[in-house]
This record gives sequence, structure tokens and C-alpha cells, in this order.
Amino acid sequence: MLKEKIDGLLDRVQKPARYMGGEMNAVLKDPNSVAIRYAFAFPDVYEVGMSHLGSRILYDIINKREDALCERVFTPWVDMADLMREENVPLFSLETRSPIRSFDMLGITLQYEMSYTNILEILDLSGIPLHSEDRTWDDPIVIAGGPCAFNPEPLHRFIDAFSIGDGEISTLETIDVVKACKAEGVSRQECLRRLSRLRGVYVPSLYEASYNEDGTLKAFEPTEEGVPRTVVKNMIADLDKAEYPESVIVPFMEIVHDRINIEVLRGCTRGCRFCQAGMIYRPVRERSMERILDLAKKLVDETGYEEITLSSLSTGDYTCLPQLAHELMERFAEKRVALSLPSLRLDSNLKQTLEETQKVRKSSLTYAMEAGTQRLRDVINKGITEENLISSVSDAFAGGWSSVKLYFMFGLPTETFEDLDGIADLANKVVRKYFETPKHIRAKGLRVNCSASCFVPKPFTPFQWEPQDTIEQFEEKQKHLCHIMHIKGVEFNWHEPQVSFLEAVFARGDRRTADALEAAWRLGCRFDGWTDQFKFDKWMEAFEQTGVNPEFYANRRREKDELLPWAFIDAGVTQQYLWREHERALQAQTTPDCRKGCQGCGLKRFEGACEGR
Amino acid sequence: MLLQFQKGDIVRHLGLLDLQRTMQRALRRSNLPVAYSKGFNPHMVMSFASALSSGIAGDAELLDVSLCGETTEEECLAAMNRVLPPALQASRVRLVDDRFPKVSASLRTARYRITLRGGETKRIVDDVPAFLAQEEIMALRKTKKNETMVNIRPMIHELTAQAGEQEDTAVLTARVSFVEQATLKPDLLMDALCTHAQAGLPRCEIRRTQLLGDVGGQPVALIDM
Repeated sequence: MLKEKIDGLLDRVQKPARYMGGEMNAVLKDPNSVAIRYAFAFPDVYEVGMSHLGSRILYDIINKREDALCERVFTPWVDMADLMREENVPLFSLETRSPIRSFDMLGITLQYEMSYTNILEILDLSGIPLHSEDRTWDDPIVIAGGPCAFNPEPLHRFIDAFSIGDGEISTLETIDVVKACKAEGVSRQECLRRLSRLRGVYVPSLYEASYNEDGTLKAFEPTEEGVPRTVVKNMIADLDKAEYPESVIVPFMEIVHDRINIEVLRGCTRGCRFCQAGMIYRPVRERSMERILDLAKKLVDETGYEEITLSSLSTGDYTCLPQLAHELMERFAEKRVALSLPSLRLDSNLKQTLEETQKVRKSSLTYAMEAGTQRLRDVINKGITEENLISSVSDAFAGGWSSVKLYFMFGLPTETFEDLDGIADLANKVVRKYFETPKHIRAKGLRVNCSASCFVPKPFTPFQWEPQDTIEQFEEKQKHLCHIMHIKGVEFNWHEPQVSFLEAVFARGDRRTADALEAAWRLGCRFDGWTDQFKFDKWMEAFEQTGVNPEFYANRRREKDELLPWAFIDAGVTQQYLWREHERALQAQTTPDCRKGCQGCGLKRFEGACEGR
Repeated sequence: MLLQFQKGDIVRHLGLLDLQRTMQRALRRSNLPVAYSKGFNPHMVMSFASALSSGIAGDAELLDVSLCGETTEEECLAAMNRVLPPALQASRVRLVDDRFPKVSASLRTARYRITLRGGETKRIVDDVPAFLAQEEIMALRKTKKNETMVNIRPMIHELTAQAGEQEDTAVLTARVSFVEQATLKPDLLMDALCTHAQAGLPRCEIRRTQLLGDVGGQPVALIDM
């Protein structure tokens, strides 16, 4: 009956393939053959969620268990969601079109703050009570993980348990606990209690927060014995021993990253001070070349994809990248499989790798410069110089590339208008370099795509104490940038400061911001990451309604001794290390890559943590 | 290689491009000796006998793929079914010489099964004989460029109706013209029929069951041409 009803809806929506399922390599299991049915949600549309590597790893890991199955769900786009409400159709899984509420567990991945309203949308469409405290065993245990789980507080009321850190092992442990609890018939409360004893698992209902008069956090404590005061993140020591999918779903519709994706390393030791991923995914761990080549072969055979990408935070840092690229090109040339390398760093030994990959296809090259002047790049510890950029684009133009992307941020700590002028200066120099390349060598049609995003201070970075620029400050800087970026051959893009402002609120929000989040969703906010859906006025109305002052979270400087809402999490890097880096930043002192000498970030406290590379 | 495959109900919303990409990836996985075009950006030499609109399922769709090595029909069928998702399984393979004219050139008619549900289904079923008795059936055919009134009667080769098991349901079987200039889409046929029966359009589930050529005035399955 539900299946037929869903079928009827598909005739009436924009992109039915989002809800269709039935793709090649989707895993179909008999629900009666397993003890735990796990629904895995990515809180955005299908084509975005299906591009996410972590979700695919966990889908594979859960389905490898004989006693569990995993099915997918995404946030239905607004047309589908409205129809579902009209026709009383509950949110369903793609594989078997079963109601999400009927699953034993619902895992939600937290990749960006602006997907938070979509989580409420998923819960509501599923008929699962929004608040953890209102749920019973008729509802799944709702678990969330991913980078945003490192400050879980804005979602504390809606999520039963957070899994912090690498998910490969933790996900299986949580399944074991829920399975045992269901078999024993213990209460839901007891199940949550047992989950809280797992490493890396945070059960918000077992903690209490109190506040000072000035609004800052006064204390944060567990409410019962046996619940850990500090939640230590999970870490996989050896990537080769970690499970990795050898077969992935091949979607019918085009998705954002429509190719084979192999994670070659996890973590980054560069120590860019704005970068949360670089801090929370430490230590650096590499997958061996043998394993990568083996995975590549299996995945090419299993998917028929025509492109492989080697992904990580900084693929250029992979020890044997040139050799790996060469091997991959050679082995798959006959099958016409192209290789693409994202996140390359200028200072990596690139030339040979680039020459290898260009044999098949030429894509555009991306340079994340982040700031316009050397002084500001020193502040953020982005170890690239102008010379690196110019010599690299010079090689690229001579090698036949003509399309270059430059990424910048503005609103960085200590930034002045001189730093903004530096952005235009760099863009100009890149253009000049192109025209200096002899005509018979360079490719036609120079395209320099320059984009500037508003800086958002994140937890567990040296800038976690820093205020974000106000929207007015951002707008003033933006105006200046638009003016100076009128350069022939350069296309300039920028991000809306309103979205970044909200990101800053929820990135460093405490428990009280949950009220504003819920109010905003009730006022109709969803898909806030989509420009055509974003309703800033509704968000401001929500803050007003709930008495939450967003500037308190986004634009306030924190003192060294302030108790931060996420301080109960041990993310590997210590608060002492972060503060030290914060001070060095303000003095524009750089810190070298820790592969060249330990900087004492705190990871050494964990046995074997810094040996897996 | 002529590959006859189904476009199952759950994937009936696939558009031509999605289906094309899916087939290309399946062919790559199959390890069959698929021929690539020459040129700067080589691609597989393949085409569908007829594009099936998004929203319509098919029982026996045809894909024409050029191969460049030795293989057998059994091998091809097994290889493709190993790599196609359940909703796109193949039922037959026929290997034909490259010098044969393109299979789409032989297409003359297509057979559809249209399942009607609810509304004034009964009234529509009862009206079929009277509808067919007309010498001329004028209907508004819309193309990307223009709208013209055309006589669709000569394009209807067969049309029968059968009441379904449940009340308010019925199954229409139609064979209609499928050549350039004279293609009758099933939704246009339904519009014309409902207009004549003075009935509202019920919920229709359309499925293309056969693609047909013509030998001496007799319809023959396209794959056998």
C-alpha cells in the first residue's frame, strides 16, 4: 500500500530518480533475516548525499554484517516533502521503501551546519518525535556523527547519541549495544546509558549544562555515575586494516561527484589554523599503494566508472603520489579510466604527477591560496608563497592548462584592506603569467576563476576563540573586493555573508541554540545551504522568538579561560596546543608541518597514533 | 549486438540520458568487446531503437551496440545480466552484421499496454468500438515547434479493451504507428479516446510491450527483422 502510494507521488515530482532506488550494487537484504535494521541518512538531496564517501563506507560496513542491514534515506526536496505531507506518506528508505520509523537505528551524518534544519525535516517526515526525550522503543535510536559532531550541542535535544571521530569501528559497536539491549528487553534509557560507555559516544541527555550571568557556560557535568566526563574521539590506527568498500552503488542520475573515490590518506599535518578538518582528523594515516591499486581494480570492475579520484585533505602529501599516479594511469589506460587529483598543494612535488594525469584529460587546476598576502598566510599558517603559486601556474600554462581556480577567504583574524588588495594582486600575476607563456605552447581561452568565502571560526581550531566579522563588515569588504576584482580573464565569485553568519552561530553554538534551530524549522527553513531556499528573515525571526542572540555566538571574542561548550570532547589535539597556535597566529609566526618535527599537538598521548604513515 | 531489455516499473522514471549512462557503465563492466568511435573523444557506438519517455515502463526495449571482437549471443546475454540492475534485466541478445541497416530504421509500430484505474474507466472501455468506428479522429499533436490538428485514425492499428479484475480498472492494448511524421504517442491516444467518451482522464499506467517492424504487411518483433 505504501509502495503504491510512493509510486503515485513519483509521477508528480521534479526528479523522481532521487527516490527511486534500484541502482546497480544497491544492497537488498531480507528484513526478517537480520537483528538490526539501520537507516542511514544524509540530510540533503540524493545527488549531494550519494557523493559523500563516509556514508558509502558505513553503508558497506553495516551491510557486511550478517545480522544487520543498512538502507539509505535523503532529505526529500521541497516538492516531494510537501506532497508527502499532503498525501500522508511517511519518509521511506530507498532500498525497500520501508518507513524510516520502523528501523532499529537511524544514523545521520553531520557534514555542514546548514543541513541541521534538514535533520528536523527528516525526523518529522518520518513521524519520529523531534525531541529525544519523547521517543520510545517504537522509534529508532537516532545516532549522529561526522565533523559537526565535534560540537554536538546545537543538536543535543534531537539526537539520542553522537558518535565522535572515525566511524568504522564505532558504528559497529553501537549496533552491538542496541542489538543486545533489544534482545534483553531493557529500557531505552538503559540502552542510551550503555551507549554512553562506548569510547567516542556522547549521549547528551546524560549531561547537564549551567550558565553564568554573562551567558557563558558555567559548568558541564554528567548527571549520573559511570557516564564519562570526557568523551574521547575514535581513531582508526591503520587504514589498511580498516574496511573500505570494494563495490559501490552506481546511481542512475548524475550526482555531484560521479566517479570512483579512493581515500588515500586521512588527516593532515600541515596545521592550517582555520581548518577544522586538519585538526580533528589527526593523526595522518596513509593507505598503502598496494591496497589502493587493489581497490582501484575492484572498483573499476564493479562500477564501470570512467574516472577515479584520489581523495583526502591533501592528496599531494601522499608519500608515493607520483608513483601511484603513474601505476594507475598505466593499468587503466586501456579501459579509458581517467585519474583526477583534488586538493593538490602547490608545494608538493607536482610536476611529474600533472604530466602523468594530463595524458587522458585536462581539467582545471585548483589553488587554495586562502589569503592575499604573505603576512596573512603566515597568520593562518598556510604554507604557500606567491612564488609557489606563480611557478606552479607557469608550469601548468606551459603544460597546456588554461583554466585555473583560486580560492580565498576573507574576514580572517587580523585582516586589513591591504590583505584584500593582495587577492587582486595575485589574480593579476596569474593572468600576466599566462600571457607571458609563448602563444604556440599555451592553450587557448584563459579562465581564472577566483572565489572568496567568508571565514567561519570553528571549534577545535586555533581560531575557536576569535570573533567572526559582522555581516556589515563582510559586506564592506565584499564591496571593495568586487571593485578591485574587475580584471580581464578573471571571474570573481563570493559567498553570502548571511549564510556564513549562521554557520558561525551553530559551529560554536551551545545547547540554547537548539531552540532557535527548531523555531527556524517551524517557520519553514530547510535546505538552508541552497540559495533559492535560504530564508534569512525567518532565521532572524526564530532568534527573536526564542531570545537567542546570534551575535553572542558568531561575533564575540572568547577569553582563554572561558569554558567552551565542546571542551568536554577530547579531539586528539589539546586545548593548550590550540591556544599556543592561537597566540603564534596573532604574532604571524608560522608552525612547520609536524612530519618535520613534533609540535606537541596532543596526539602522541595515544599509543601508536603518529606511526601510521 | 541487439540487446532486448526491460525497463522495469521502479525505474520507469528514468530519462533517456540516465538510461544511456547506465547502459554505458554496464557495458564497461561487462567486459564485452565494445567498439569505440574514432576521434579525439572516443565513445561507445550505441543507440536505442527508440527513446522511451520518462514515466513509461518497457517490456522489450532495444539497444544497438557495435562490438569489435568475437563473442556469442549466450555470452553477451549472460555478461549483461550479470552487470545490469534487477529492474533493467535483458531477455534476449541477437548478433547482427554491422552492414545491416540500423534497427531503428525498421521500426514501424509499437504496442502498448495501458492500465486504467478509477475515474470513468468503465465509460471509456464501453466507448472503444464507437471510437474506432470513426473514419477520422482529429487530435491536437504538440511538438517542440508547433501544434497541429492531425487525423490519428490511420495511426491506430489495433485497440482493444478489457475490464480488469477489480472494479474501475481496465487494460487497453494498442498498436500504434511509430514512424517519423506519423508517431502516435499513447497519451495523445488516451486524450482523444477520453474526449470521445466524454470522460475524464483516469490514472494511466503506460507500458510499452513491443517494438515492431513490418514484413509483407504483418507486424514482426523488431529484434527479428
